[in-house]
Amino acid sequence: MSKDAELVRKLKDSLLKDTAFSELLDIYQERLYWHIRKIVTTHENADDVLQNTFIRIYKGIYNFQEKSSLHTWMYRIAFNESMRFLEKNRKKRHDNIDAISESNLEVLFEDEYFDGDEIQIKLTKIINEFTDKQKRIFQMKYFDNLSFRKISEILEVPESTLKSTYYTAVKIIEEKIIR
Amino acid sequence: MIKSTTDNNQQQFLKEDFEDGISKHHKKYLGTKVPEGYFVKSKTSILHRIKSQSNKEIIEKSNNQSVFLMQSRFKYMAAASLVFILSLTVWLQNSNKTEVVNEPYFESLIFSDTVLIESLLVDEIEVDAFADATLFHEILMKSELFEQKIDNLVFENLILEDSLINNYLDHGLIETIIL
Repeated sequence: MSKDAELVRKLKDSLLKDTAFSELLDIYQERLYWHIRKIVTTHENADDVLQNTFIRIYKGIYNFQEKSSLHTWMYRIAFNESMRFLEKNRKKRHDNIDAISESNLEVLFEDEYFDGDEIQIKLTKIINEFTDKQKRIFQMKYFDNLSFRKISEILEVPESTLKSTYYTAVKIIEEKIIR
Repeated sequence: MIKSTTDNNQQQFLKEDFEDGISKHHKKYLGTKVPEGYFVKSKTSILHRIKSQSNKEIIEKSNNQSVFLMQSRFKYMAAASLVFILSLTVWLQNSNKTEVVNEPYFESLIFSDTVLIESLLVDEIEVDAFADATLFHEILMKSELFEQKIDNLVFENLILEDSLINNYLDHGLIETIIL
């Protein structure tokens, strides 16, 4: 039995659930945080979404049918929770997509927990110009180090599409950074 | 030569794996960071939120149960069932006692053998006096005794009903009604 499968077994056992959940946080909290942070931009937002994500995981573990890996299932919850957060904020501000894209950068640069240098700011700006889909795929592959198979399961996009999107994004970044 | 090294570094930039940890990887390439000791604090906060939510759910569940029991529809059902059960108990007890009650009643209407034999030996002059005495003894005395028996029976019934009510209260009124 794999480590994740053993963890799921414990999480579904009401007597072992709390101990197993603490173990789960140790393993996945940091990875999920960074996955969320790149979507919701600031540390404060990421903290809120991370907490909600883990509460959903805790409550929903009995519904996890183990058709995908625990890792993939949790990433999907984190991704959906982040999207829900953005949608809620979008409704609050009644902004259009371009304005949000612009304001995302402003919000990031004003964030207390961002101190990027020139090249980091340049990279952030390039990534921010990508389409939403291109941005997610590049970030999940490059920064979260997920395999194409896992990204495909999370985003429900064929692996071939992911690969071509990712390599196109890499090419754009290489060209713009070198230039 | 220098240009070639720079190009190599820039190209390598997108091909590195993060061995130092995901947080350092993000800090290095995106300039994003987290507060000192954030993940420890966040874990505690998530566990605390889950615990408090679980407690809240337990309280809500128990409140919902008591609210259900206090619904007026439920109260009417309980009262109607109680009345029905009490009536049934009284009726069953009385129907069992009917034969016992009737026995002395019919006995009182029948003259004993001794009286019938004695009546043959009485002189015609004394017939009226004998009849008065016999009537007094056989009918009035017996009816007096019968009345006493009825009183005792009613009294016993009352005691029995009281003990049944205590029984219902001891074993939980609702359970008794449902069972």
